[in-house]
Amino acid sequence: MTRLRPSSSPRRRGADGSRLWTWFMLPGTLWMTGFLIVSLALVATLAVGTTDDLGNPRFGFDLSAARALADPAYTEVLARSLGYALLTCVICLLIAYPVAYTIALYGGRYKHALIAAIVVPFFANYLVRMYGWSVVLSDDGPVLRALRAVGLADAHTKVLNSAVGVVAGLVYGFVVFMIIPVYAALERLDVSLIEAGRDLYGGPVRTFFFVTLPATRQGAAAGLVLVFLPAMGDFVSAQLMGGPDQIMIGNLIQDKFFQGQNWPLGSALTMLLMLVLLIGMFGYLRRTRKDEAEARR
Amino acid sequence: MSPEVLPPSRRAVLWAGACGLFGAAVGGCGFMPAKTPDASALAPVKARVDGDLVYFNWADYVDPSVFKGFEKEYGVHVIQSNFDSMEGMVAKLNAGNRYDIVFPTAKWAQRLVRGGRLRRIDHSQLPHAHAIFGSYDYFADPWYDPGSAHTVPFTAYKTGIGWRRDRIGELTGSWKDLWSDKVRGKVFLLDDRDEVLGMGALALGLDVSTGDRQDLDRITSLLGTLRPRLRGFSSDSYNNLLNGNALMTQAWSGDMAAMLNQAKDPSVFGFEAPREGTPINCDCYAIPWNAPHPGTAMLFIDYMLRPENVKKNIEYIGYPMPVAGTEKTYADLVKPFPECLVTEDDLKADLFFRNGSRAAEDARDTAWTHVKAG
Repeated sequence: MTRLRPSSSPRRRGADGSRLWTWFMLPGTLWMTGFLIVSLALVATLAVGTTDDLGNPRFGFDLSAARALADPAYTEVLARSLGYALLTCVICLLIAYPVAYTIALYGGRYKHALIAAIVVPFFANYLVRMYGWSVVLSDDGPVLRALRAVGLADAHTKVLNSAVGVVAGLVYGFVVFMIIPVYAALERLDVSLIEAGRDLYGGPVRTFFFVTLPATRQGAAAGLVLVFLPAMGDFVSAQLMGGPDQIMIGNLIQDKFFQGQNWPLGSALTMLLMLVLLIGMFGYLRRTRKDEAEARR
Repeated sequence: MSPEVLPPSRRAVLWAGACGLFGAAVGGCGFMPAKTPDASALAPVKARVDGDLVYFNWADYVDPSVFKGFEKEYGVHVIQSNFDSMEGMVAKLNAGNRYDIVFPTAKWAQRLVRGGRLRRIDHSQLPHAHAIFGSYDYFADPWYDPGSAHTVPFTAYKTGIGWRRDRIGELTGSWKDLWSDKVRGKVFLLDDRDEVLGMGALALGLDVSTGDRQDLDRITSLLGTLRPRLRGFSSDSYNNLLNGNALMTQAWSGDMAAMLNQAKDPSVFGFEAPREGTPINCDCYAIPWNAPHPGTAMLFIDYMLRPENVKKNIEYIGYPMPVAGTEKTYADLVKPFPECLVTEDDLKADLFFRNGSRAAEDARDTAWTHVKAG
């Protein structure tokens, strides 16, 4: 790997290269500061802001939004979101691993076509796909009607507006974020490692758990993060597939900005959610740093 | 490959960052205390062509042929954009976007008027406005805009209960129908703070816009008894009834009327306006203070009020308009759901959702969180 480092003779070659490089950096830097860092700063500032009589958010200093977070309703909804997101991660991993494994090791020349077949449906907007599911799974929709016809469901069976519906929606929405990194990890895996495991009298199960799985752990970890982050903040699945007892934190945040016109509280909730996600991210970063340190040894 | 790529100078990165900060700070100014435009900047203008019309409304809220007619008659273009919520519309106005005509609901019209964000409208410039103000006394001096000085009403609608007549038969005509055992687990409430709290208030005989904590506690505990019977909070009343998820749902009259155009057999559905009272609302025409072409906007309002255009729009969107001479068009349209009609008496009952003080709004917000999150 070539390391990027300042040239020892910046005068001659460096001047042009540096300017060009700076120009390339410019859009990205502008974008990130403008739309990420500053927006975050705005959210943080509004979290202690106020609302004027017309319902417009205003800068100020008022801790009532932070105090309102103490309401147990928020803790409960946050805990529920955390539970759904973790469950989604686990289910996604259980689905994604065999899929990625099959494609990576047995896909042969159809590998890329198979991956494309998985990715292409996700080009359609998430909201539209979820809306589609809410129609398909409705009480008088094709699925339940068919199940009723063969006697597998009665008049009271429902899929929508239940915890199962919400988690299924989240899994469906984000499973591709798990398949891709796990596939990439399996793709990089040296198959001779598996053969070596077999040579050392490991059965298929033992070889899988002691060779294949540890070797692809980083892909799975990346997938877990990629699924966890959007699942935790999602509001579409709970909105379309959930009932009153499946409200997630994303729904409440959305409500604060729209119906409640309470931007300070919405911002405070956003910061709280980010705090939870940051804790998760730190866990992931520490884990990968440890892995890297071990790999270097 | 060239290995020697210089990192950008620190100054360049800082400079770019500063530009980004500046850009965002400009955006952030929207949150600084706003200055109110002075009265002379809000003086009414004559109805005359002064440019193309920049139009800002809900999507699909005007018959496209009406736009075409307007463009042809006055030789201007209609530049359309849409909002998906009142909050979104006001946020865009506050950010300095310029539109010639916007369509706030009553509550939002009041906020905009109070904030000095709307240009005054001279009714004498609108020959067809007489069909509204001459017949519907209510709009001569509505609570949200004294003397209708800045707004002209566009549509009026109310909130009631939509249900599947084919599955559960007739209802009793009360909000308490939502608690019926026949529909347990198959009831939806609108995903709307004011509508849900307002329904609870009406069922208890309280003010629809109450911000009183004791009232709100009573409403929250009443709705707590409905919550276990609910299937969900959703404003998609039409689809919920159609696909069988809902046997009963809180619903806006306009959505139920729109259903009549689309359903194969409308007689399987019903719409009732409960006797405890039905929340009422209206959308208004309004011209923002910074509209680039207010004269064209005035012409547009008058054009929309011509009886033939009102009729086209009523048939297109399914919402009644308080324009004398068009009532029959709407009554014919909603024959299966006569309770969709909005009469002068409905307006006089005055069950509009009103703006509350900051403390009242916060109390309502907290109550809504408890109703929704349990």
